[in-house]
Amino acid sequence: MTVKKTKILFFIICLLQLFYLFNFRSGFRYEIIKDPFNENSGITYAVSNEVIESKSILKRNKIVHFNLSKGLKEDTYFYQRSIEFNYPTRINQSSKFILFSINEDITSNCKIIETGRYLKLTQC
Amino acid sequence: MTSISFHEKIALILSFLILNNYLFLSLSFPQLLIKINFLIFLLTVLIFYFKNFLENPFLKIFFLFIIFISLGTPVFEWDARSIWLFHAKRIFFDGSIFSVSDNYAKFSQNDLPNLIPAFSASLGFLLGYWNEVFPKLSFSLAFLPPLIFIYPFLKNTNYLIFLSIIFFIIGKYLFSGWADGLLAVYFGISAFLMYIFFIERFDFYRRKTFFYLTAICFFSSLTLIKNEGVVLLLILFVTVFLIKIYKGELKKYILNIALLLLAFLPIVMWKFFCFSKGIAYSHFINTNTLFNLLSRITDLKNYGQISYFLFLNEKFLISLVFLSVSFWLNRNMQLFRFIFIAIIMYIIVLFFVYLSTPYDFYWQLNSTAARVSKTLSFSLAFFGLYNLNNYRIR
Repeated sequence: MTVKKTKILFFIICLLQLFYLFNFRSGFRYEIIKDPFNENSGITYAVSNEVIESKSILKRNKIVHFNLSKGLKEDTYFYQRSIEFNYPTRINQSSKFILFSINEDITSNCKIIETGRYLKLTQC
Repeated sequence: MTSISFHEKIALILSFLILNNYLFLSLSFPQLLIKINFLIFLLTVLIFYFKNFLENPFLKIFFLFIIFISLGTPVFEWDARSIWLFHAKRIFFDGSIFSVSDNYAKFSQNDLPNLIPAFSASLGFLLGYWNEVFPKLSFSLAFLPPLIFIYPFLKNTNYLIFLSIIFFIIGKYLFSGWADGLLAVYFGISAFLMYIFFIERFDFYRRKTFFYLTAICFFSSLTLIKNEGVVLLLILFVTVFLIKIYKGELKKYILNIALLLLAFLPIVMWKFFCFSKGIAYSHFINTNTLFNLLSRITDLKNYGQISYFLFLNEKFLISLVFLSVSFWLNRNMQLFRFIFIAIIMYIIVLFFVYLSTPYDFYWQLNSTAARVSKTLSFSLAFFGLYNLNNYRIR
């Protein structure tokens, strides 16, 4: 009888722990679980809009190598996330396609290819 | 226990398949083989679930819930994104674990072992495209071999307590895409294998090929999860070595120890590859290591800070109290000696690592100690439970 009671007790403890993890520690989103196999599932919760936009701009313009402006390189979050999120499109220091933040001034030898909400793609 | 149980067999197969996936991606095998390997993994999980659903139902029910959470959570934390799932993404697109040889995106620490990222990549191969959520499931699935393996040793209520320990100590690391939870559990189970083989039931296990295969699979996995795994496995070997020297029994065990050392082979090969390509992550061990160590070693405040971060958290303290109560109830000195030596050695290593860190001392502690401490907490709690398990059987 004691064994059974202990079992029930720990079963309830485990359930409560899982509920705690689910509710407070997971960052669970119903929008994701509705379609976890979709190619774009969860991206809006995973990275910033700027990073998402960098991928869509590069993809639309069929860019395989890109570079970032000095300002964007100094933003560690954007630098690292844009590298991993855009893979297999690679960052390349000698690429002529450079992404600038929308507020940045582009250099005179560059022309704008596409302007987005947060970023602009230039060819230099 | 006199024969090999169903759970032990399933655990070995699953563990082997995870390593096999790694091997396939090391040898650049065709995607079809990688997909088949993963489908066999899924089939084995289904056999585990449905052969006798009422045997070990708790893990089966709770694990479904873990899968559900994992499939509903994005990957947004730094380690998970910039290291583990980025490595997985690279393996997926480049078709090999050796694609890191170009040392692209150095911040992702390309020399880290890739067992779990390779497994994540196989989930991507199954889908046919990269996705931010589904490949992360591999981190949860990799918990299955140790969780299934331990069941015959901790039946009924004790297994539920074991699951409760997992949820309490490992917590969100069960589904977040971080490798630290896996490291803690694989270390606990590897320590357990070491203990039952060399200390508790040597005469029963020494002639069983099954045991050697299981041990080598778990030990290799431990070393291929994170760099710390190599140190942790070394600690286990040194612990056994010291105990056997102390007892004057080393000669009897030396061949068995040597055989199990084969588990280091995959990580040695990986590190050799990284070294030969010049992609060793040299931030930590460099010429400044000694300088950093010497400048901090004499300041007692540093020891206080390390202790504060490592030990003053509820998980470690509760585990320590649990272990103490357990050994107060059942004074199994050989088990206590084993876990005490291993844990003390790991703590010494941690102090050395933190004192010699090239990064800001406080930042390093603040960003890593809570994760590192999980390995200590889980081992203490798990061995406390195993000790009580034996006490109850008696």
